[in-house]
Amino acid sequence: MSITNLLNNWSFYRNKRPYRGQYDLNRQYGEYKWAMAVDLDICTGCNACTTACYAENNLPVVGKHRFEHGQVMHWIRIERYWDEKMGEFPEQGTSFLPMMCQQCEAAPCETVCPVAATSHTNDGLNSQNYHRCIGSRYCSANCPFKVRYFNWWNYPSTAWPAPLEDQLNPDVTVRTKGVMEKCTFCVQRLSEAKSRARTEYRLVRDGEVLPACAQACPTGAISFGNIVDPESKIAKMWKNQQVDLYKDMQEKDNTVRGYRILEDLRPFPSVMYMERVRDAEA
Amino acid sequence: MSESGINRRDFLKVLGLGGSSLALTGCGNTDVQSGVEVVMPNVHPEDFVVPGLSVFYASTCTQCGSACGVMGRVREGRVLKLEGNPESKISGGKICGLGQAAVQAQYNPDRLTQPMVKEGDKLVPTTWEKAMALLDDKTGPKSGISGEQFAFVTGATSGHLKALIQNYMDSLGSKNHFVYEAVSPAIGFAANRQVYGVDMPRLHLDKAKLIVSFGSDFLGTGASPVHFAREYAKFRKAPRGTLVQIEPKMTMTGANADRWIPIIPGTEGVFALGVANELLNHEEYVRATSPDIVALVRKYDRETVSRATGVRPELVAHVAALLWEKTPSLVISGASAEGHVHGVQNAMAIQLLNKILGNVGKTVDGQAQSPFPQIAPSAGSFAALKAMNDEMGGGKFKAVFIHGANPVFTAPSFMGFRENLRKAPFKVAFVDAIDETAQECDLVLPILTAVEDFGSHVAWYQPEGVEVSIQQPLMEKLHADTRSMGDIMLDLVKVRRAEEYKAWPDFFSYLKTAVVAVKPVVKYTDTDEHFWYDVLSHGLIQVDAPQQEVGANFAAAALDLSSSAPVQDPKFPFYLIPSERHNFRDGRHANLGWLQESPDPLTTVVWDSWAEIHPKTAASMGISEGDYLEIASQNGMLKVKAYLFPGIHPDAISIPLGQGHEALGRFAQGVGVNPFRILDPVFEKSTGEIAMYGTRVSVRKTGSKETVVKDEGPYNTQLGRKLVVTLPADVAQLSKEI
Repeated sequence: MSITNLLNNWSFYRNKRPYRGQYDLNRQYGEYKWAMAVDLDICTGCNACTTACYAENNLPVVGKHRFEHGQVMHWIRIERYWDEKMGEFPEQGTSFLPMMCQQCEAAPCETVCPVAATSHTNDGLNSQNYHRCIGSRYCSANCPFKVRYFNWWNYPSTAWPAPLEDQLNPDVTVRTKGVMEKCTFCVQRLSEAKSRARTEYRLVRDGEVLPACAQACPTGAISFGNIVDPESKIAKMWKNQQVDLYKDMQEKDNTVRGYRILEDLRPFPSVMYMERVRDAEA
Repeated sequence: MSESGINRRDFLKVLGLGGSSLALTGCGNTDVQSGVEVVMPNVHPEDFVVPGLSVFYASTCTQCGSACGVMGRVREGRVLKLEGNPESKISGGKICGLGQAAVQAQYNPDRLTQPMVKEGDKLVPTTWEKAMALLDDKTGPKSGISGEQFAFVTGATSGHLKALIQNYMDSLGSKNHFVYEAVSPAIGFAANRQVYGVDMPRLHLDKAKLIVSFGSDFLGTGASPVHFAREYAKFRKAPRGTLVQIEPKMTMTGANADRWIPIIPGTEGVFALGVANELLNHEEYVRATSPDIVALVRKYDRETVSRATGVRPELVAHVAALLWEKTPSLVISGASAEGHVHGVQNAMAIQLLNKILGNVGKTVDGQAQSPFPQIAPSAGSFAALKAMNDEMGGGKFKAVFIHGANPVFTAPSFMGFRENLRKAPFKVAFVDAIDETAQECDLVLPILTAVEDFGSHVAWYQPEGVEVSIQQPLMEKLHADTRSMGDIMLDLVKVRRAEEYKAWPDFFSYLKTAVVAVKPVVKYTDTDEHFWYDVLSHGLIQVDAPQQEVGANFAAAALDLSSSAPVQDPKFPFYLIPSERHNFRDGRHANLGWLQESPDPLTTVVWDSWAEIHPKTAASMGISEGDYLEIASQNGMLKVKAYLFPGIHPDAISIPLGQGHEALGRFAQGVGVNPFRILDPVFEKSTGEIAMYGTRVSVRKTGSKETVVKDEGPYNTQLGRKLVVTLPADVAQLSKEI
């Protein structure tokens, strides 16, 4: 988004999202809204998604010392929680939670950026403009999911000793010291797919493009697609799970599994999670 | 030139991979400045190379033995990423983290780029001419070496490289091909052979309503983790199956269980017989079971089993009740049940449940029988290395070749493998990075990585038919002075059998001829050339082969576990669990930064080793997280940080395998400790395999302390937030979901 456009419509981009009609298949620049669904019942915690993300998005390996200081750059991580009511042993296994940028519609990070380096794209992504970022880190402080990662070091010169840099994905920038970065839903793949579709006078087909995490996931726990298209799998899944992109504090039947994390903070995430299931009789 | 009139380089060009040198030297243009090279505008790029566009080529992942079909994303001659190949019955278009990291092995800064020869006690660079001359000098016809005096150690092997190695051994008149895997499935295979008559039956996770797994980490480290993860996903869809995991230390599979039951290591068989005893309260099961087995099983009543296993008596009955209620079920045995003196018996006792429950033929049946025995997989064993080591210690071998295994790192110190290896006067390692074993060798030859080389693989777990997985180069070789393992073997075979192999100038042409020869088997009717390109573009040959017959043979005598009680030694009160991490396996991938930085799923620890200890035990010993512990067996001691872990039996200590390298480059060296070193000489009694879970250790707090570097925050629960919500299975309506 151009800075002019942003400044002209400042209040629009800052306050009015999401609203019904924001996305519309028949309107140019409103025909896509990328959304995700993560089935926590079949996520096994294997970390294939995180490694795929390293490969796709040129994430630097920071090493033990920097990891210890919280400077790891994994755009997607698997959080592991033990049950609070656990006795001596975790008799119902453990809980895994793949956590990536939730691409919130009313993103708390966007409103605090002093230079509008992070803002919303027309296809519903929470974008990060590395050129504009001045490294204030307000966005990270304001992110309830803690999925923004700051470049404390000049990784391009240290993280890829030759010839490791030959593996770098040319479609993705290598970020330098002093800028914030985060999951983009693999925007480079989305752009390529949209551009290909446009040259063929059509919209991106359902399943045509997947982020690296969803593509790798061995159990298929991560689903992805354009939620504007009512025929897409992702739109059907959200509807089936009674999760509405435009609503918060949602009431749903107790038999459905869909929910969005920290919904009560009203960020309107674009990632729906599906509850983990456990056989209580086992 | 090969028969087809196309050599390897031309072939790569046809595939559009020939332009890589352009991209690879793009950053350093000293040749251009000095006038040696002329810069040409890239108006006519190689075929299939469109600047800015990715091309995908099918190949095979070789990071573990599953032989998943993969697609390599290639741009401007460089392979950037691997994805699953949707046509592969094994991977089904999916890929694990370990597989992803194969590209880091390719571009590893610590790769070996030239042949090295030992001078004094140091390895120094040499040339291929000198290296091959040295090989000829020591192992060629003039060396006078006999087949008896020669040994070849490889890791698990299959495909045409295996056939070529075998032919080389034949040419030398040697029978000393030792297939060694440090973490091998050999004990399970031995039990399966006795019970089912096959090494490995096919397991239908998706058809089971209940899976009871005794320590089988099928989601993380088992036979084919990507395949089993896909089957597991089907198993969890409506009607959702239930998973019960019984093991001393929680594995990734255990972490996903509906019910996780900690058990004293080695007593899994007793628990299984206890469950069998409960099941035999049902008349129909008694009728289907032979009287001597019924009589044996009757000895394992609830209370006896509970005393032996440390599991509450009602849980024995509970597991039996679940098995009675949910049919068909599937009972699996795994590493932690098998790695004991009585490992085969344990596994058989566990498999007995499948027989009683009538699962054989339903959720357990035969794999397809590979029609090509020469390229069929050898899964490898520890016993192979033990036999080799004993002979080598006696000074029998004059020359030892090592490929695809790192025994100096993985052999327990009681074996004295390093010292015995030094007794062999000529040792050759074929590696892509110098590991501990290569450091001991007299000649180290740099080979291509899997993404640069041709090859073929047959996995020992075949989900459907037989998939011969074809590996093709995804890029031109990165380092000029590295060579294909197949090319080297072909050259070596030709030393003695020049006439038979003269038709093939390189491994590529050999493989191509071999693959084309399969054409009639798959009833392909077009030309040879078409068949070859068809195979390459699909990355596999799918062969419909007849299914193996599985029996269900149990003899009561073989199931008697009454003498299996663990030996108690007050000096070594803890059971050592050297756990296998899904990304590290036996440690051969510790030099890949992505894997070091990929948190362990259960502890979230990175870049380190740690000792898992139950919080209750830790409290009684005054141990908190980060305390350095001295963990000593009779054969060695490791100093390692404590991590308090509720998913472990209070009498057990677990240290993950794979770390503690002295070599293998900057990402692996000096990280963590190596529990292989301190294993006791405890062996499975019928196979001679090492009992991986049979070592006892003592634990002492040293007083020093250091932060455990991990992804987990200071709290390890959700603190009441609604992050991961759990829904009871009887409430969820999965059948109504999309």
